[in-house]
Amino acid sequence: MPLSHESRMRDVCNRLLDAIEARDMDLIGAIFAPDLQFWANFTNQTKGRDEMLEAISAGYALHRRRDYNDRHIRALDDGFLAQYSCAITRHDGSQAVHWAAMIAEVKDERIVRIDEYMDAGKFAPRPAA
Amino acid sequence: MTESEIRDLCTRFFDAYEGRRIDELAEIMAPDCIIWHNCYGKEVAVADLLAKMPDSYAMHRSRTYNDRTINAFGDGFVIQYTLHGVCHDGYSGSLWICIVGRCADGKVTRIDEYIDSGKFPAFRTVPPQT
Repeated sequence: MPLSHESRMRDVCNRLLDAIEARDMDLIGAIFAPDLQFWANFTNQTKGRDEMLEAISAGYALHRRRDYNDRHIRALDDGFLAQYSCAITRHDGSQAVHWAAMIAEVKDERIVRIDEYMDAGKFAPRPAA
Repeated sequence: MTESEIRDLCTRFFDAYEGRRIDELAEIMAPDCIIWHNCYGKEVAVADLLAKMPDSYAMHRSRTYNDRTINAFGDGFVIQYTLHGVCHDGYSGSLWICIVGRCADGKVTRIDEYIDSGKFPAFRTVPPQT
C-alpha cells in the first residue's frame, strides 16, 4: 500500500534530520534537490545546495555531537513543518540546546527549499580563525 | 475548524496585533492559551502577554507584519512573516519570524514563536557605527 502524503513528508523530514545527526553527507546530498534553496532567519540569506553542504560539513567541526530531538512534524500541502530541539555537545563537553523550526518544500521526495528559524542570539562565539 | 477558518483566524490575529487592538486579541486567543518563545524557552499565559503589550508597543511608532505566508494543517497553522518596526526617531528594523499556532473552536490555543534574539538590538535602535 502506498504511503500517505503525511507519511511521505514525515519520512523525508526524519531522514534529513537523522542524516545530519549521523553526519552522513552522502545521504544529506541525496535528500537535497540539486536546485535546493536554503534560507535562514538569522542571516536573511539564501544558500544553494553545494554551499549548504559545505556549511553543514564545516559546522561539524564545532561540535562533538548534535541530536535533533523533540521532533514535531506536520505535513503541509507541498512539504513539511518541523519543530525540534537541537542539542549540541561541544568538544570541551559543554552543552547547549537550540529550539528551531523548519519549513520545507518537497518535490519528488527531495527537498527543494528550506526556511529555518533559529535563535542565533544563543550561538556561542566561534573561535578565531 | 476548516483550513479557511484557520487561515482567517491567523490573519485576524496578525491584523489585530498590527492594529494594537488588545481587546480583539483577547477575543481571538483562548483564555488558557499558552505562548512559548524559542529565545526564552518558557511558556507565558495569555493574560501575562496581554498585560505587557502596551509596554511592548511603546518601543515603536508602528509595527507591520508583512510578507505573510500561511500554511494551515489539521489543527493549526504556521505563518512566516517579516516584522517591520519603525522607532519613534524614524529608525526602522526588521525581524524574520515563524509562528506555529494551534486552534480549536475558533480560537488560538497555543503559540510557539521562533525568532532570532540576536537581532533584537538592531530592531530596537540604530546599530552603533564601527
